[in-house]
Amino acid sequence: MPHVEPLKAEEIHDPELLALIARCEALGVPDSLFPRILAHVPAYAKALLRALLLSHAEGNVGHRLKEIIRVQLARTAGDAYFAGLRSVQAAKEGLDEDTIKAGSGEFQDDPRFTAAEKWALRYAREMYVNPEKVDAAFYDEGRKHYTEAQIMELGAFIAFHYGMQAFMRTLGAAPRRQ
Amino acid sequence: MALNPDRIGREFYDELRRHYSEEEIVELGAFIGFNIGYHTFFGTLKFYPMFSPDGRLVSQEESARLYGAAPASLAGVTT
Repeated sequence: MPHVEPLKAEEIHDPELLALIARCEALGVPDSLFPRILAHVPAYAKALLRALLLSHAEGNVGHRLKEIIRVQLARTAGDAYFAGLRSVQAAKEGLDEDTIKAGSGEFQDDPRFTAAEKWALRYAREMYVNPEKVDAAFYDEGRKHYTEAQIMELGAFIAFHYGMQAFMRTLGAAPRRQ
Repeated sequence: MALNPDRIGREFYDELRRHYSEEEIVELGAFIGFNIGYHTFFGTLKFYPMFSPDGRLVSQEESARLYGAAPASLAGVTT
C-alpha cells in the first residue's frame, strides 16, 4: 500500500476527473493508482493528469519515443511504479520490451535508434544525471534534428514526468498490474 | 525528495500527518515533484529573471550577472 492511501473509485464523483482517469487507464500510463492518490486534491489531479496525458500522448514528437524516454526517466528516478507501467498506444505502434530496455542502456551505439532519437534519449538522461552537459552546444546539436517547438515539447515532457516520478518514488507504490 | 529520496518512507509520511492533512501532503508532494523536474530543465536553458531585485527591467546578460552565480545544480550536493 502506498504511504498515502488512494481514494476508492466510489469516492471520486467529479465527472471531469473520472473521464481523465478513464483516459489514463485506456493509455495504461498512469494506471488508476496515481490518479486516485492525486484525487485527494481534485483541482491538482485534473490539472496534472491533463498535463501528463497531453505531454505523453499528444504533440509533435512521437509517442513511441516518449514512452522509451519515460521509462528511462523512471529508472533514473528510482521509481518502480512509473517504471513498471507501459503505454498500450506505444505497444500498438510496435514498441517492444527489448527496445524499451535498450533506451535505458547503451543506446548511443544501438542501430535501432536514429540520431534524433539518440539525442532525445541523451537529453533525458543528462538532464538529471549530468545537467551541466546540457549546454548551448547540446541544444545546437538538438536543432539539427528537431524544431525549437519540438525541443521545448521534449524538455517540458521530460521535466514534468521526472517530477511526478520523483514524488511517486517517495510513496513506495507499485503498478496495479505487473 | 530531490537529494535523498530513500529517507522518505512510511515514518516520514506519518510524521507529516502530525502537521498536514492528507490533501495538503499530496498537494505538497506534487508541488515539490513539479519543481524538482522543471527547475533542472530551466537551468539547462540558461534564462534569468527579467527584473533586477530593485524592479528594473534588465538585459539577460545583466540578469545573469545578478542571479546566475547563486543557483547550483543538485549534482554533487549532499546533506
